[in-house]
Amino acid sequence: MQFTVHNVDELESVAKKMVENTGPHTVWAFYGEMGAGKTTLIQRICKALGVTQQVSSPTFNLINEYDAGAHKMVYHFDYYRLNDIDEAFNIGTLEYVDSGHLCLIEWPEKAESLLPENRRNVTITVEGDTKRQIKISDYD
Amino acid sequence: MDTQPVVILGIESSCDDTSAAVITNGIIRSNIVSSQSVHEKYGGVVPELASRAHQQNIVPVVDTAIKEAGYTPADISAIAFTRGPGLLGSLLVGTSFTKGMAMALNIPMVEVNHLQAHVLAHFIKDDENDTNQPTFPFLCLLVSGGHSQIVLVRSHSDMEIIGTTIDDAAGEAFDKCAKVMDLGYPGGPVIDKLAKEGNADAFQFNKPRIEGFNYSFSGLKTSFLYFLRDRMKENSNFIEENKEDLCASLQRTIIEILMSKFNKAVKETGVEEIAVAGGVSANSGLRTALEQYAAKHKKKLFVPPFGYTTDNAAMIAITGYFKYLRKDFSSHDIAPLARMPF
Repeated sequence: MQFTVHNVDELESVAKKMVENTGPHTVWAFYGEMGAGKTTLIQRICKALGVTQQVSSPTFNLINEYDAGAHKMVYHFDYYRLNDIDEAFNIGTLEYVDSGHLCLIEWPEKAESLLPENRRNVTITVEGDTKRQIKISDYD
Repeated sequence: MDTQPVVILGIESSCDDTSAAVITNGIIRSNIVSSQSVHEKYGGVVPELASRAHQQNIVPVVDTAIKEAGYTPADISAIAFTRGPGLLGSLLVGTSFTKGMAMALNIPMVEVNHLQAHVLAHFIKDDENDTNQPTFPFLCLLVSGGHSQIVLVRSHSDMEIIGTTIDDAAGEAFDKCAKVMDLGYPGGPVIDKLAKEGNADAFQFNKPRIEGFNYSFSGLKTSFLYFLRDRMKENSNFIEENKEDLCASLQRTIIEILMSKFNKAVKETGVEEIAVAGGVSANSGLRTALEQYAAKHKKKLFVPPFGYTTDNAAMIAITGYFKYLRKDFSSHDIAPLARMPF
């Protein structure tokens, strides 16, 4: 899947399509430079999943947990301030990834080798002040 | 009459640091944070930013807090611990440790909400003569790396978040913008320092327009990033040449965003007293803005000592103390909560 969005309002329909075509993987890795809109896209995805509470940046908290109803959880990770892969391990990455619940991970490049290959990669490329290219590829 | 002093051991392990503190009848006796010299005495290394590190930290930190307060475990009346919100693995260490110790000493345990504790840190007394405490109701601006909230405090046990960030926290805006300028992470204190030498009106950045008392800092981060990118195209030394002015202008913008919603909340709630809490309350620009605001609007302002702004167990212990007085204890089947209702 690939989308071109021209402004932030278009993210909602992208998020809906991503959730409708949810794919086989429960780990979604979000690549993109600072300000690309990783947290913003994840906010829209959580909304499409039925999360009603506030979805905010987990940069400081490292992991935010959201309730998506019907005993489904969404784990929102941010590896931004981690220094190395040991820290990603020590915050419990493997336990969350193995939980079967959806894990949405910002800055996955900090701990790529800890994440399963069986994942969805979401790459956001900045093409203008508000224009973004969003590429979604499921490992198979 | 019961003249036994109420001795509360507080344990905090919600995020990076393990901390333990002792408070007697509301007066601070000790407040130990793992990143301090505790480890040197025990010959260990200080692992940074790892929730499993709490397991290594917790015994030396608690032991040091009790000893420094001049007590033995038998003197403790109850143990207060952070139940949430935070990182589950980190919270589990503090919760399990508290259960074991409370069971061994046969004393009650008291669950504490980490965010409420930040607010109640204002009630920690330095000594018996310390009467400098807010009176209810008051508004607290809670600003840190992970939080930006406006809390209406009606009593020790009745608080309400009336405004919160919908994306990034204020501290995160400082830190990420500092990173863009290559000032390191966390960069809040560096920005504060450089801002003192710069012109706060040199540059203008976008401010969010959102409803109610809520905050948003994500747009400012992006606007700052693109502003620098465009200027760097014209002059690759732009950041280096304008570092002080950039920091001063950025800091002014963040403070204006914080103060504008806080002012709105003060007006609409009609409170007479205001307070600030959390790591960003160490920012000198924010302190000055709050002091000027308080003087202009004749409000009484409470600013916590630096040691109570970042995550610490003294605030957990004081919150536990008020709950202890109400006999609001927790049962031993309690589990930590990564998300915890306020």
